[in-house]
Amino acid sequence: MAEEDKKVNRREFFFKTGVFTALGLAILAFFRNLLLYIFPARKEKTFHKYLVAHEKEFKKDKRPKQINIGKTPVFVVPYDDHYKVMSGICTHLGCIVKWEQDKDRFFCPCHKGEFDRMGNVIGGPPPRPLDEFKVVVENHKVYVYVEDKVRSPWA
Amino acid sequence: MKFKEWLLERFPIDYEKFVEFNEKIFIKEPIPTHMKKWLFVMGATPLIIFGFQVLTGLFLTFYFMPSPEMAYESIRHITEDVRMGYWIRGLHRWGANLMIISLLLHMTRVFFTHAYRKPRELNWIIGVILFFLTMTISFTGYSLTYNQLSYWATTVGTNMIKEVPLIGDLMLFFLRGGDVVNTNTLTRFYTLHVMILPGIIFFFIFLHIVILRLHGVSIPEGFEEKYYSFYPHHFYKIIIATLFLLTLMSTLTVVLPPGIGIPADPSVTPTHIKPEWYFFPTYRFLKMVSLHVGIYATAAFVLVFTFWPFIEPLLSKEKRKQTIFSRTAGVLTLIITLILTIWETIVI
Repeated sequence: MAEEDKKVNRREFFFKTGVFTALGLAILAFFRNLLLYIFPARKEKTFHKYLVAHEKEFKKDKRPKQINIGKTPVFVVPYDDHYKVMSGICTHLGCIVKWEQDKDRFFCPCHKGEFDRMGNVIGGPPPRPLDEFKVVVENHKVYVYVEDKVRSPWA
Repeated sequence: MKFKEWLLERFPIDYEKFVEFNEKIFIKEPIPTHMKKWLFVMGATPLIIFGFQVLTGLFLTFYFMPSPEMAYESIRHITEDVRMGYWIRGLHRWGANLMIISLLLHMTRVFFTHAYRKPRELNWIIGVILFFLTMTISFTGYSLTYNQLSYWATTVGTNMIKEVPLIGDLMLFFLRGGDVVNTNTLTRFYTLHVMILPGIIFFFIFLHIVILRLHGVSIPEGFEEKYYSFYPHHFYKIIIATLFLLTLMSTLTVVLPPGIGIPADPSVTPTHIKPEWYFFPTYRFLKMVSLHVGIYATAAFVLVFTFWPFIEPLLSKEKRKQTIFSRTAGVLTLIITLILTIWETIVI
């Protein structure tokens, strides 16, 4: 009898395989959905144009111009009839850099990070150049593309 | 095997004893043969659903914000924006409804098979407490959605507490955290719904199962006193029941997804307000009589219902007559409950 008990008959085999397959699939599907649920879907970023300067401002004075976009300080730097617009947030640890005209550099007071006029690192600990905005010039006006801030609190 | 030795060295339990214990408590738990009928699986159903509710509820807290400004909006966000959000919320919502349905079915079965009789009276009482805890957790959960209907259901529902003699006003003020349903009410209900009530329910479920296991499942009249082991038959039955419930809840969520209603407006009471269906009998009854009578009669019914296992023997010494009394009372209760529910459903 004991021998017979241990033998799995066909019916039992199909039953057990069926139950565990269904259970396994259900668990997989459940966790797939939970994972999708906890990781918010990434939205594609959208941008709008933002006026930062007029070309005539740089006719005599080639110094970088500082403005704020929202709460972020931004520098507009003219060079060879082009413009570079850079974020004023230091790429090291997020302090705000300032333009030093006499030394021709951006300087971060927190850890003595130094960037040249084009935002490249020339000294100190910053790991990469200052972040840049995409620039367009239309009718002598300088615009940058700024990321749309989503109005919902979940951004 | 190496891992087992490694673990046992660091977690030095008596492995043989553990296996023995597991066999006795779980694998070889004696299940009476009548449990092979699906009708008698009704008791495990609320437990399985409770598990799902804990899981889906936990995940809902990832996005839900219990404040008047954000509650409705965050539920809209879960339902409409978050990936699979409608599914998680749907499972939770349908799970709540199914949990109440399965508890009603389980109680009906226990009542009509007289499984509450000596020595199992305490477990009946614990079961009734669990049922009312489930009603309370459903009510607090429903209030959290903060739409027009749920806001006014909360207002009306909490107002009833005022009728409790002497301390009613104080209790109401405590529960609402103010004179009207407000920011404090929402955070209080949230704490009750996600921490306090689940904790209490968990404790009573534990007690319910311990007492059940100590007595063993009661054998209804007309069934042989024969047993089989929990594993494999009952084990598979539970898995199948779980898969069935998951499928049922998912299907209901897809076919009848829970809506979000319109945002709560404390300045306008909607013309037609109704609580959730499981409060229909009480709600209809309260419309028929004065508030005082309604609340005291409901309280009296609840007391008799809770202590029925002790009241039944007082009615008659004969088992046969007890059965007749109980059946009559049970059938009457069912009929009245059904009539009140259907009445409230069809009348606007």
